[in-house]
Amino acid sequence: MSTAERQAELAVPAAAERRRKKGPGISDTWWRHAIALIALVFALFPVAYIVSAAFNGDNSLSGSSLIPRKVTLDNFRSLFSGQQNTTGHATFQNAHYLSWFANSMIVAAATAILTVLLGALAAYAFSRFRFKGRRMGMLSLLLIQMFPQLLAVVAIYLIVLNVGDVFHFMGLNTLTAVILVYLGGALGVNTWLMKGFFDTIPAELDESARVDGATPAQVFWGVVLPLAAPVLAVIGLLSFVFTLNEFVIASVILETQHRFTLPVGLWQFIDQKYSEHWGPFAAGVLIAAVPAALLFAFLQRYIVQGLTQGAVKG
Amino acid sequence: MLKIVFLSLVNAAAIWAAVVLLDHHKWRAVVVLVVVTVLIDAIYLVKRWTLPLKFLIPGTVFLLAFQVIPVLYTVNVAFTNYSTGHILSSSEAIANIKENSLSVAANSASYSMTLMRDDKQHLVLALLDEDSGRTFIGTKDGLRPIPRDQVTISEGAITAAQGYSTLQANALGGLDQELSSYKVPIGGGKAIEPQGFDTAVVLEPTFRYDERENAFVRIKDGVVFKDNGRGSYVAPGGEEIEPGWKTYVGARNFGRIIHSSLIRGPFLKVFIWTVVFATSVVLISFALGLLLALTLNKPGLRFQRTYRSLLIIPFAVPAFLSLLVWQGLLNDDFGVVNRALHISIPWLFDPTWARISVILVSVWLGVPYFFLISLGALQSIPAELVEAARVDGAGALQVFRKVTLPLLLVAVAPLLIASFAFNFNNFGNVYLLTGGGPAMGDSPIAGATDILISYTYKIAFAAGKGQDYGLACAIAILIFIIVATISAVSFSRTKALENLA
Repeated sequence: MSTAERQAELAVPAAAERRRKKGPGISDTWWRHAIALIALVFALFPVAYIVSAAFNGDNSLSGSSLIPRKVTLDNFRSLFSGQQNTTGHATFQNAHYLSWFANSMIVAAATAILTVLLGALAAYAFSRFRFKGRRMGMLSLLLIQMFPQLLAVVAIYLIVLNVGDVFHFMGLNTLTAVILVYLGGALGVNTWLMKGFFDTIPAELDESARVDGATPAQVFWGVVLPLAAPVLAVIGLLSFVFTLNEFVIASVILETQHRFTLPVGLWQFIDQKYSEHWGPFAAGVLIAAVPAALLFAFLQRYIVQGLTQGAVKG
Repeated sequence: MLKIVFLSLVNAAAIWAAVVLLDHHKWRAVVVLVVVTVLIDAIYLVKRWTLPLKFLIPGTVFLLAFQVIPVLYTVNVAFTNYSTGHILSSSEAIANIKENSLSVAANSASYSMTLMRDDKQHLVLALLDEDSGRTFIGTKDGLRPIPRDQVTISEGAITAAQGYSTLQANALGGLDQELSSYKVPIGGGKAIEPQGFDTAVVLEPTFRYDERENAFVRIKDGVVFKDNGRGSYVAPGGEEIEPGWKTYVGARNFGRIIHSSLIRGPFLKVFIWTVVFATSVVLISFALGLLLALTLNKPGLRFQRTYRSLLIIPFAVPAFLSLLVWQGLLNDDFGVVNRALHISIPWLFDPTWARISVILVSVWLGVPYFFLISLGALQSIPAELVEAARVDGAGALQVFRKVTLPLLLVAVAPLLIASFAFNFNNFGNVYLLTGGGPAMGDSPIAGATDILISYTYKIAFAAGKGQDYGLACAIAILIFIIVATISAVSFSRTKALENLA
């Protein structure tokens, strides 16, 4: 899902829960429930299935079933222990799974934090200063991002390859290179969203701070950023999830097992030994889904808070 | 304070980087680095008029380095023949051909060879010409005679030489690498090269480089290999010398997509499938999402909230995980879909079923999004409008067709276009599910479910089939043009839609 789509989704308010008058009788709504239930089965069976497989004692794909025959934590243990699990099956590539997870967290967190910082700086300039080329600058941000990095992946690969010849720390097979490349997309739609939010923060606040002798930089760090916390959080979380999902650039730059991120690692893992390691794989998927799912839950709450409170502290 | 720290870090990094670059003789890069650093310093140290720039610079540096430059470089590469066998620069390629064209001369002299080390521990070859009985010491710098009275010869080989220490048999083990690249130049492009541990032969070049004509001449038969203007030396008969070099070839990559039947066929198939894929995913997801939204958008419906929060769960799971899980669910032997339904459909291994699977899974991923969008849009339609239509005697279906849908479309149309553009390049949904496969008979690269972007990725990075960066970049540019055109046209259409409503 693209960042843009996720953002559009946020625009849908939960205001749906209107007056809850006495519901219509079951006779004229049964078909609504029927459709909803069918949709629920379609939407949830893969999720239910993977949860069940993660706890199932039989860890092959053919042995899996919706209701586990034997509930066990072996699959999770095999992710974290270096040893064979009790059923004697070879383990999921345990050492590597942990590296993939750690790499993904490092890359996604670093990208998210820096994206927010770089985006906020630019958005502040666009929101608070009037300068030549301001409109042009904002427009060109949108136009430039029309050509997604995905399409330039060959060029990105060649650039990283050549830069790496000179600066090894940001060459192929380094997390640094992946993070730097992701930061190329830091200015774009995000900047517009932040600028829009900054515009709603009264300029009088800045001015009074300026009168008190604050520099523009102090106003930015001390006044605007704290007030914009909700939008910063939302954009940071979106960027985190988007980065977590990114496959193409990571797969091109990262070359060895211990440097892979989760998408690259899990993808080439199932390519090789899917059916025998279904159980540990399911456990790995479940754990990998946790950060994003938590953030998703957190994100919904934060938006509501941001919209309803909107208040100015201090 | 922060500014001082930031600036000192930037300058320290720049100085360090400049030293490294100088070390690698990257002069142009050094100039760019110095100019950029001085500009940054100036922007942050000058007082007033650079104020907005101070805030814009950090993000812009990354934007330029990893977004703008890659795009420009993509365009650049699209007009070159950058690919396997065309990676070196022209002068590197010439040097490479000269060096690698050595082969054992037809009536070449062969030497009995003994490995020795000189007083500086450098490896040297003590050589005995078996025919003439003359003795030499060969080094990487050249060959020089050594008088017979300074060497000991036994059983047709030199066993000792004055000033050199003979290597014992047990010291030879680690020398393979060094020996295989050891050459003793003897003038005229010829060289003496070890063959194993006790023989050396004279190698002579098979090609002679004619600098004035910029052509290679094969020495044995005089065939001339000329620069064909596309990065290779080619003989009149079509034979090519490896390696070629990287050079600009004009619009040739674009021409190949149109003219070369090897590329045009798969390209067209992939293109059509990409359009079918993107269109059907958007339309089906939207239709199902809208259907769900209409179903659940009934005031007072029980469990409404529960349904909604459960239905968007697929949205909360990172897409790459869902896709990998689906790959397991659709496995034809062990997959739960086949086993649960007691069917045996080759979901991912038959071209048609694989396409259906890709659409099915993409719809699964897309419905929650359109469900939320539609729900929001439906709730923003004023109830009075619907009431008014009802009062005028319109049936439920009529109300939907004449009132709800047009109003809904106005709100949703831009999102549909954006979603189309996104799915057009939805690399993950294809590659993580089927890897673009199954293979199609007529192309070694394109599979049945490959969309343009995954096809491009394979052309550039597929292992073992040769990598064609030039062609990949050309296709990437075409993709951009196609998506941009479709988006632009449909956006202007939706403007018209808005005016109607």
